[in-house]
Amino acid sequence: MSEIDPRIQAYLDGELRLEDLPLALRESAEEWDRLLAEVARSAPAGAPAGFDSRVVAAIRKAGPAPGVRNMDPSPDRPAWLDWAIRPRSIRISPIAALGLAAALALVVLRPWTGVDMAPETEPDLLARSVYVQFVVQAEGAESVHLAGDFSEWQPAIALSDPDGDGVWSGRVPLEPGVHEYMFVIDGSEWISDPNAAVSRDDGFGRQNSLLAVTAISGT
Amino acid sequence: MLGAEARQQTDAELVRDSLAGSEAAFGEIVRRYQDLLYRHAERMSGGADDAEDIVQTALIKAHRSLAGCRNPGRVGAWLFRITANVCKDHLKGRRRSRLSLDDVPSLEAEFGDPGDALDRKGIRTRIDLALRRLPLEHREAFVMKHVEGLSYQEMGELLGVSVPALKMRVHRARDGLQELLEDLK
Repeated sequence: MSEIDPRIQAYLDGELRLEDLPLALRESAEEWDRLLAEVARSAPAGAPAGFDSRVVAAIRKAGPAPGVRNMDPSPDRPAWLDWAIRPRSIRISPIAALGLAAALALVVLRPWTGVDMAPETEPDLLARSVYVQFVVQAEGAESVHLAGDFSEWQPAIALSDPDGDGVWSGRVPLEPGVHEYMFVIDGSEWISDPNAAVSRDDGFGRQNSLLAVTAISGT
Repeated sequence: MLGAEARQQTDAELVRDSLAGSEAAFGEIVRRYQDLLYRHAERMSGGADDAEDIVQTALIKAHRSLAGCRNPGRVGAWLFRITANVCKDHLKGRRRSRLSLDDVPSLEAEFGDPGDALDRKGIRTRIDLALRRLPLEHREAFVMKHVEGLSYQEMGELLGVSVPALKMRVHRARDGLQELLEDLK
């Protein structure tokens, strides 16, 4: 493959002006200008008519999304009940399963660095839940919230720092299983749990922390 | 909420209302960014049918992940990133990026004598064919730079790739296109 003169590349990147180029290169640079103008002109026009309607129809057909209220909710049913009775599933890839098994062992065999567990149970919806204490160091933060699959990724669970030492914590009832979560600092900065033993790419360039919660026998 | 109201809302407000179940709000988000996403997908995939599948898949995926959009004020950039990833998955699945020059018909074989008059459609098809021969990451960077007109900084924010690395990809893409598009100059 023949390489373009680096000075022409710099010109095409807007780092050099045409008059900065030696005369011998200017003709080639202008040819590239014409070619790239043609490339830009030949760009597709955009989405066809009615595309947005087809997308919305496909989304409606796909059913409720996590964290998004049903587009056609029952008017007589409170939103919290919709949330409570919505079916959930946990998908674990074979590779991730190995990591999760390690995380599960950590939860069961020794105190969690950033998360303490205590076997407290309550009736009804919380009957199978285990209280998990989340702890994160966030000095100078004005607020810290927890978001995860258990909150439909809404940063709705506020942690507290009553003594102002920058250590924020809160107890959350979680059902046994594998959960993903992140902390949200001051409402906008999403961070992984630095103490989490396992994390997983969320597909958008960040790492969700993973937590395996196991039911304690006898509870 | 009526569609007319949605059109006057900010992106962050539309994301908030979409999460609350407003179909009109998400529809407006789709309308705002569908052309940008579609152009990228069509130029990357080389076909309108593929582009429609790719963008629809990306938008459905985005809707299902909307609660995880961490900067609703820049939902367009977030949608672009998802679409770009779906695009790459789609193309990797079809192994187009691994086609060798021997697998792709030559420009001459496709269009005959390069000296023939080149109409707009012919030029566009030649450019699509030439782009298809580039490695996936080079093609992506070239399309963002020269079709979508983004700066290297904007590309870096969308793709999470450093500016020097993106420059290198665009330069390599130009090197690759130089021979292939010689007859268009």
